[in-house]
Amino acid sequence: MMLPEPSMYAALLANRYLTSRIIPLIAVAAVALCVALVVIVVSVMSGFLDMLRTSGRTMMGDVVVRYPISGVPYYQDLIDRIEALPEAEAATPAIDTFGLIEMPYGTEEGNLVETVQVWGIEPVSFSRVSDFENILWWKAPAPGEADSLRADDPRLDESKDRRADAMAMRDQRTAEPGIVMGMHMSIFNERQSDGSYDFRNGMDRYWMPGKSVELTLVPIKGGKLSAEPEAREFAIVNEFQSGVFQIDKNRALISLGDAQEMLRMGAGVLYDTEGELDPETGGPLEIGTSPARATQVLVKAVEGVSPAQLRLAVSDAYESFWKASLADPERLVKPPDPFSVTIMTWEQQLADIIGPVQKERELMRILFSIVYIVCAGLVLSIFWAIVYEKTRDIGILRAIGASRPGILGIFLIYGLVIGLLGSIMGALLGWLVVSNINGIHDAMGEPAPVWLTISAFSVAGMLLVFAVVSAVKGSILRWLMGVIGFLVLAAVGGGLALHQGFLLWDPSVYYFEDVPNETDWFTALLTMGGAVLFSVIGAAIPAARAADTDPVTALRYQ
Amino acid sequence: MTAPPHQPAEPILEGRSLHKTYRLGRVEVPVLKGASVSIGRGEWVAILGASGSGKSTLLHLLGGLDRPDPGSGGVFNRGERVALERGSATNRYRNRSIGFVFQFYHLLPELDVMQNAMLATLVPRNRLVGALMVLAMLAGGLAGGILGFLAAGPWGLLPVEERTAVRAWILAITTGILGGAVMVAVVQVVQSLLVKGITSRGPAAAVATRTLGDFGLDHRFRHRPRELSGGERQRVAIARALGSEPEILLADEPTGNLDAKTGREILDLLKQRHESGLTIVMVTHDSTVAAYADRIVRLEDGGVVEDRGSTPHGP
Repeated sequence: MMLPEPSMYAALLANRYLTSRIIPLIAVAAVALCVALVVIVVSVMSGFLDMLRTSGRTMMGDVVVRYPISGVPYYQDLIDRIEALPEAEAATPAIDTFGLIEMPYGTEEGNLVETVQVWGIEPVSFSRVSDFENILWWKAPAPGEADSLRADDPRLDESKDRRADAMAMRDQRTAEPGIVMGMHMSIFNERQSDGSYDFRNGMDRYWMPGKSVELTLVPIKGGKLSAEPEAREFAIVNEFQSGVFQIDKNRALISLGDAQEMLRMGAGVLYDTEGELDPETGGPLEIGTSPARATQVLVKAVEGVSPAQLRLAVSDAYESFWKASLADPERLVKPPDPFSVTIMTWEQQLADIIGPVQKERELMRILFSIVYIVCAGLVLSIFWAIVYEKTRDIGILRAIGASRPGILGIFLIYGLVIGLLGSIMGALLGWLVVSNINGIHDAMGEPAPVWLTISAFSVAGMLLVFAVVSAVKGSILRWLMGVIGFLVLAAVGGGLALHQGFLLWDPSVYYFEDVPNETDWFTALLTMGGAVLFSVIGAAIPAARAADTDPVTALRYQ
Repeated sequence: MTAPPHQPAEPILEGRSLHKTYRLGRVEVPVLKGASVSIGRGEWVAILGASGSGKSTLLHLLGGLDRPDPGSGGVFNRGERVALERGSATNRYRNRSIGFVFQFYHLLPELDVMQNAMLATLVPRNRLVGALMVLAMLAGGLAGGILGFLAAGPWGLLPVEERTAVRAWILAITTGILGGAVMVAVVQVVQSLLVKGITSRGPAAAVATRTLGDFGLDHRFRHRPRELSGGERQRVAIARALGSEPEILLADEPTGNLDAKTGREILDLLKQRHESGLTIVMVTHDSTVAAYADRIVRLEDGGVVEDRGSTPHGP
């Protein structure tokens, strides 16, 4: 049988080879560093891409039913049907439209007016579908969060807590209708490098909540009725930060009721515009009630259900809702047929944001397969050198009757133990670095501590003395190591002294406050398995080659 | 020029018309040209010859370390042909039937004296440990694979939208490899403990202890070869060759690397063993060393030119 067969000498030698030389430690370290490198970079990169990707989701749930402009009537029935689905956790209606907003600041000629994407929402049910309540900015910090805020952060001031106002979409002091604006709509909200918003220019003067804006919406209506733009005053009740710049820059939220009123999408009397006139009033004949409408229904999936699965279920629910509405004589206004309504997952809806991220991820995978190959080559060449050095031992073992598979067995175990130890240590190292990456990053952002600089220079000085002593004593290797050590540590000391701190992950640029610190365990396990496999193969190939050599030839190696 | 082969009464090891040609680049160099030698049970035969006469090659062929040219006769152990073309038969022959001593000792530097001396006894495969290792590897692989599959699916290591069958399988295979590797490492640890037991107790350890004691190495059991003198190293090498208690000891210039006094000590050790029944075939270029043998076979240019009895048991 040509399978590696365990004999006692194989176990003994594998053990001795692993424990009596420094080179296995170097091999373990090399494997560990390769694994740690891949784990750290892939975790941070895919964490970053995931943040980019999923931040779009915070404002929309998992699946969106959409019929723009005229909207879906009897949406509450649709929502009830969707919420009855086992796949759906919650659903909420919304209206999306565009408008003009007059900001509470401007030039002498008048306040600044900007275009804005307006969503009418029901804050409470919207919070169940999206992250709305969490992304509100002006709310009391969560118990653990308060410590991480700067002492002068305005959110620590209880009087600035506007959570309740936002959840009611009313300024509770004046009872005015409320509006919640994206954090970046106001030009005074300037993001700082620690992720906070600085209000150096006089915080209260430009603090948005409590100020009023004028919002102009245009009801768009088919048919014969003309549509006049309608402007209303809204009190700013809060601001939100979703994590997607385009959304935070352009979106404002008002209550669904206000949006329906301004867009003439609320419930009302339905008149017959084409038939007989009402004999009593002389106007059109009243024939029933016109239902309120919503242009979107946002749905959140139950934990464990994918958006794609939910989408299919919601499509079926819409079809049954449509059929029921057609059959119901009470419903005079019929909802749009299932082919006219778009039902998309959040990924399909946000394809223009997600597309580039997906491409970046592909690019990263390609780059990393190259890194993998380089690491595999490194492991292979280390093992080649180790086994080559053992050729004479292999000759001796063959001479006293060790079989070729037995020899292979020694080095399979040797490679396996090194690969396993290296990959476990590498994964551990990677996990430690990734979990503490924000601390490391913060430390890098500060100027280096003086003691560190001084110790680097002191060690450099000691190495210089060592080099001089070695030169006098006549050891060229020690002299060389001393000089190299001195140069490296002097350079490190110099670098530390000059280092004034830099932030690689500047939140004013990257938009996320923290570096992603979740270890990508799938990649980590894959890399560990790969490292073990490559170590075993890397040790097995040269060992098989050496085992095939005649003992007499192998014994000539010195 | 080839002398008629001497025929001992009870041949235990024979080389019959052995040819061996080495290839150096494009040049073929014939080293043995039909050499025959027959060793009787309990004999001490010295193969004497100048450098390049083919004496070491002859010994390598007799010991199964090298193969004769195809179709050129063969090596016979107790009258039976040694199947040098079959790996397992060769291994068994090298391990059990003969003990080989080299000029340059060839001890394993990572093992201590005791482990080196016992090496040949550790070579035969251990079916129980083999079966245990395969079972452990399969169990570890299976357990790892199942855990990986669960992790990919219900345990939520993968986000919902990435939970595809392909990914689950990839993860299961990876964790299977890791699980198998962990179990192999565990068995390796168990096996190392077992070896530790075998090399300090057990019958093979007793044999090695006695041999090393006879050779005056009592106090050196846990030393490494590099801590020993040349003579001590050669004694360990002889102890190793005798470890599996073979009938025949083949020694290639056993004193060639030692000073005259140490060389004599080594030869005296061999003499003791010979007197208690060990068959010895020894290669040397030194006629004073050859004088220890019962019989001298002189090799010249790849052939046996003289085969005669010597003064028994040397000067």
